Amino acid sequence: MAYDGLPTESPLGAPLDWAWLRGAQSEWGVRPKPSPRGLTMLDIAVGSYADVPEHPSHRSMAPRGADVGDDTADMGYILNWKTDMWSDNVTELYEEAVARQWSATRDIPWGELRELPADVEHAMCQLCTLLTEVEMIAADLPAKWMWRMNHDFIEAKMFLCTQIMDEARHAEVFRKRALANGGGLLVSRGGPTSLLRTIIEAKTYTQASALMHLLGEGFVLDIFRMGELIAPSDVEKRIFRMCMQDEARHVAYGTMHLRYAVDHDPDVAEEIHEALDHGEQVLIDFGTAPDVSTALAVLLAGGVEHVEDKGFPLSMELTKKQLTSYLARCERAGVSRLDRTTIPLDMLGIDPEPIRAANAAGR
Amino acid sequence: MSTEVDTLAFFDALADEMNTHGERFAPLGEAEMVAVVVMGRPGQDFRVRLEFESLGCIGVAEVDATAAQLADFRLEGPLEDWRAMFDDIAANGRATGPFTINSLALMGDRICCTGDDPMGIDKFSRFNQTLQEFFDGARHVAVGTG
Repeated sequence: MAYDGLPTESPLGAPLDWAWLRGAQSEWGVRPKPSPRGLTMLDIAVGSYADVPEHPSHRSMAPRGADVGDDTADMGYILNWKTDMWSDNVTELYEEAVARQWSATRDIPWGELRELPADVEHAMCQLCTLLTEVEMIAADLPAKWMWRMNHDFIEAKMFLCTQIMDEARHAEVFRKRALANGGGLLVSRGGPTSLLRTIIEAKTYTQASALMHLLGEGFVLDIFRMGELIAPSDVEKRIFRMCMQDEARHVAYGTMHLRYAVDHDPDVAEEIHEALDHGEQVLIDFGTAPDVSTALAVLLAGGVEHVEDKGFPLSMELTKKQLTSYLARCERAGVSRLDRTTIPLDMLGIDPEPIRAANAAGR
Repeated sequence: MSTEVDTLAFFDALADEMNTHGERFAPLGEAEMVAVVVMGRPGQDFRVRLEFESLGCIGVAEVDATAAQLADFRLEGPLEDWRAMFDDIAANGRATGPFTINSLALMGDRICCTGDDPMGIDKFSRFNQTLQEFFDGARHVAVGTG
């Protein structure tokens, strides 16, 4: 329909443009069908709207798929290649994140907290102090880079928004737990700060993602899984399990982003390795920081009495599991660390061969 | 009539519980995963493939060892450890303390979470509470004592 005869000027004399009504060059009438759970981002990835360019021609905030004018503002994006932030699971993870949000106010049975022995309460509060501190890096880091990401990669930016919300909730829930049972926030020392600085100061987003999603959040994910052993009551167990679900999404995104980047630009692998060379050292410093390791050991032992015969041995077992998981994810990401890491695998009793074999079998 | 846990009928009953009580799963959000439960027992292990989509369990099937490999992750353990979890659920209305699936699978010495792809294994973490709620549905199923 031509819609002839429409006015060319507004009543105030301003020029009018009816191009949007007469048929823009964007695709019209795609009619995506809702899936059983509703109309998802995966459902609307139809026709040209499903095409995510490798290197968008625009650097504006115009929505991908729109008929974009040449005069749209250049937003100064510096991450203009799909390999810079994309992962093949990012749209699915966005929907998952939206569907699995929870409330630290409502969904934790705070009323069931009971008085704990003083040493256990102190250890729990120390761990919560640490987690409140480190969780927000996973919000600050995407925030630092998102505004530099080309808007055509909207699904990746949307997922990172959910990550920021997740991390705000994690900071909230651990801060609440520190205060809620008669304790409070305890000490913050240099170790965690050094790891956090390493992450926030990474030179590229992909390096930052390797340090944060793969290394840092992978490490924290396993702490959350250990919540079953660490938590003194069902309240903390619930906190750890809910956080674990969120953290696993972030790790899934980061692992597959690195995989996408390496598959499409093999030179990136060395850049990631260099970041992890340094990051692993900093992580070891972080994990062995005196306040972190002692608090974890006390929680694992159920108190100071058995910290030496139970707490530290269990802590070693769990460290072994953390690092094994990390190395397996590195294999999946296409950045094998088995022959490059300086983590003392022998000393920790980690055999690299099953990790290598599992990756080969899963490929 | 009671149902043994190492039977397809038992897992069909758990799936029915999930599919008719979406209100328990909605607060946890949708889940997309394929898990295989392996119960070690004398003679032949019992392996059941569970496919979850949205707020439901859309597939329950007994599978062989080869087909079990195709799941996102496998939860493998002796029948007595699985029975202990379901007994705890029957006694308390939900798995408690050391009997949650996350606890049982944590150290890998009782039930072990395995798979060929770390991304698949991580789905155990991503959808953990949905899986636990699915197992907790056993409180509504008359479980045999073995």
